[in-house]
Amino acid sequence: MTTIGRTRLADIGTYVAFGVICLFFAGPLLWLVSLSIRTSAEIYVSNINLWPKNSTLENYASALNNPLFPIYLWNGLKLAVGGAFGAMLFAAPAAYALSRFRFRNQQLTMIGLLAVQMISPLVIMVPLYRYMDRVGLTDSHVGAMMIYIAVAAPLFTWMLKGFLDGVPQSLEEAAMIDGCTRFGAFMRIVLPLSLPGLTSAFVLNAILGWSQFIIPFILISKPGLLPIAVGIFNFQGTYSQTSTQILAAASVISIVPAVVVFLVLQRFIVGALMSGAVKG
Amino acid sequence: MITGQWPYGQSEERAVAHVVVSQLYKKYGELQVVHGVDFEIGDGEFMVLVGPSGCGKSTILRMIAGLEGVTGGEIVINDRMMNDVPPRDRDIAMVFQDYALYPHMSVRQNLGFGLKMRNAPRAEVEATVRKTAETLQIEALLDRKPKQLSGGQRQRVAIGRAIAREPQVFLFDEPLSNLDAKLRVEMRTQIKRLHMSFKVTSIYVTHDQTEAMTLADRIVVLRDGRIEQVGTPEELYARPANRFVAGFIGSPTMNFIEAQVVEEGNGLRVVPVGGPPLAIPKSRAQRYQRHAGRPVILGIRPEDVTNTWTEESRARESAVPLDVAVEISEPLGSDTLIFARLGNAEIVCRASGMSAPVSGSAIRLNAHMDRMHLFDPESGMAL
Repeated sequence: MTTIGRTRLADIGTYVAFGVICLFFAGPLLWLVSLSIRTSAEIYVSNINLWPKNSTLENYASALNNPLFPIYLWNGLKLAVGGAFGAMLFAAPAAYALSRFRFRNQQLTMIGLLAVQMISPLVIMVPLYRYMDRVGLTDSHVGAMMIYIAVAAPLFTWMLKGFLDGVPQSLEEAAMIDGCTRFGAFMRIVLPLSLPGLTSAFVLNAILGWSQFIIPFILISKPGLLPIAVGIFNFQGTYSQTSTQILAAASVISIVPAVVVFLVLQRFIVGALMSGAVKG
Repeated sequence: MITGQWPYGQSEERAVAHVVVSQLYKKYGELQVVHGVDFEIGDGEFMVLVGPSGCGKSTILRMIAGLEGVTGGEIVINDRMMNDVPPRDRDIAMVFQDYALYPHMSVRQNLGFGLKMRNAPRAEVEATVRKTAETLQIEALLDRKPKQLSGGQRQRVAIGRAIAREPQVFLFDEPLSNLDAKLRVEMRTQIKRLHMSFKVTSIYVTHDQTEAMTLADRIVVLRDGRIEQVGTPEELYARPANRFVAGFIGSPTMNFIEAQVVEEGNGLRVVPVGGPPLAIPKSRAQRYQRHAGRPVILGIRPEDVTNTWTEESRARESAVPLDVAVEISEPLGSDTLIFARLGNAEIVCRASGMSAPVSGSAIRLNAHMDRMHLFDPESGMAL
């Protein structure tokens, strides 16, 4: 076979694999959209039609008309942005120290941070609840945000370290010789230069916070405090008849902000994930 | 062309600094990289720290700048002990190897940054930036960002940023090593011009002996964190303290030949292993008398084994004729490098550039024994 033929065959293989993977992940999403535009009568039909016979947007209307829905959205936004901001406050100094100073067990610290990241919130669900309950931080956005921060900070630290590593140390040294303190050099030189990285890490963590389910599910029970991800889950119980279609519509609405933010800031986010991977 | 006066035009009143480094030590954990280094730099002097990579020269410079802590010893600038003074209060300016220009600032902002940090009035910052840009001929670049500049332009801006500050001491950390050969020579001359007009105390780190020789008032040669020799370029070239300095200074490097000092009739000779005896001139015989019968290392520079002498110099006693078989000749235009054998050793000679001898041919050169060096084979010290 010629080289061109072989390349083409490899290309076809890549696209087929890409298609399968795409279908695997997009399938449930398409199904969700399909459910969200059905009437309640069509929810339990046995034959699979992606496009329902009598499509309707009424489900969206009833989801949006639920008085709690905007509150869920607002709570979700508050927790996501607050969590990401808090995580940044903790992660930035940690990342700076890991990037700039040499100390004992530095490598171990870095790996330790990542190891903590491996623990699923599910595993710590019971102790986390009992602990937060004991200190009186259940049913509170502050309490939930603290856990958001704790969960996001390790990954945030790793990402930011990657960005800070990309800012040459000599720039800071030049600034310190030019009259800055270390903090001044950080504020005037390092921070402006790592702003793109900081922004993208922030956005990525806010999106992750937006879709956070387990933590608010464990820690928050008052309907008025629930973020969107848990709030829509509760929709299921609030409607007397079959509510799957409304739940689906609410779910679609809830993922729209995350998708839009991702699409708009895609370049930034990919940058955050790739930082340190390629020498720039 | 550099037209020189400080940007402020205060060159008359400006304080120049002397720097004293005494018993300086640096340790990273268990690893000792600087072992008790002493030297002094006079007002307005241009001192070059030179040595192979890993000799501790950059570490010493960074300690003087305050970017590295001092493990032991003292750094004193103008009678003020600087060990614990932060870099910003040392009144120094540094030019980095990678230029370290602030990428998010324009050239104008880069040049003015140090003054701004020192709360200089805006008009003064502007005037100084303009003057500095004029001095370095970078006026047209003032509104550009560093990434829009070529390597040479960046280097000028980096030097400009240091000048604009009017520091007491300039520090250069291998500032030319990222430039191509042609630009390096150009910038070298420019730095020299700048120093000649500003006369600011400067400490310059390089691994390039040519840079060291051309720029320095005095040179500190370092190896493994220790000083091998301190002296003017001429001193280091003509009277190296040991074999390391002799080999480091000069290009091509000095020939080192295993030999023995023998006393023969009316004089002293040095006999390369397997080679012909070479007469030691009377002027130096007395110095080597006590080494008669001992093995030595004969050091002689390629330019001192040559055929480019005038009749007058040939007539001098020290010119010893040397017949060698040419192994390889490398014509350089101005002169020709000849690789030949002298006894068991391979030597490099610098012959006239007019006619390059063919490989395998025999050629008569003259060894200028007045300029040879003898070293102790064990300690490497000059005898």
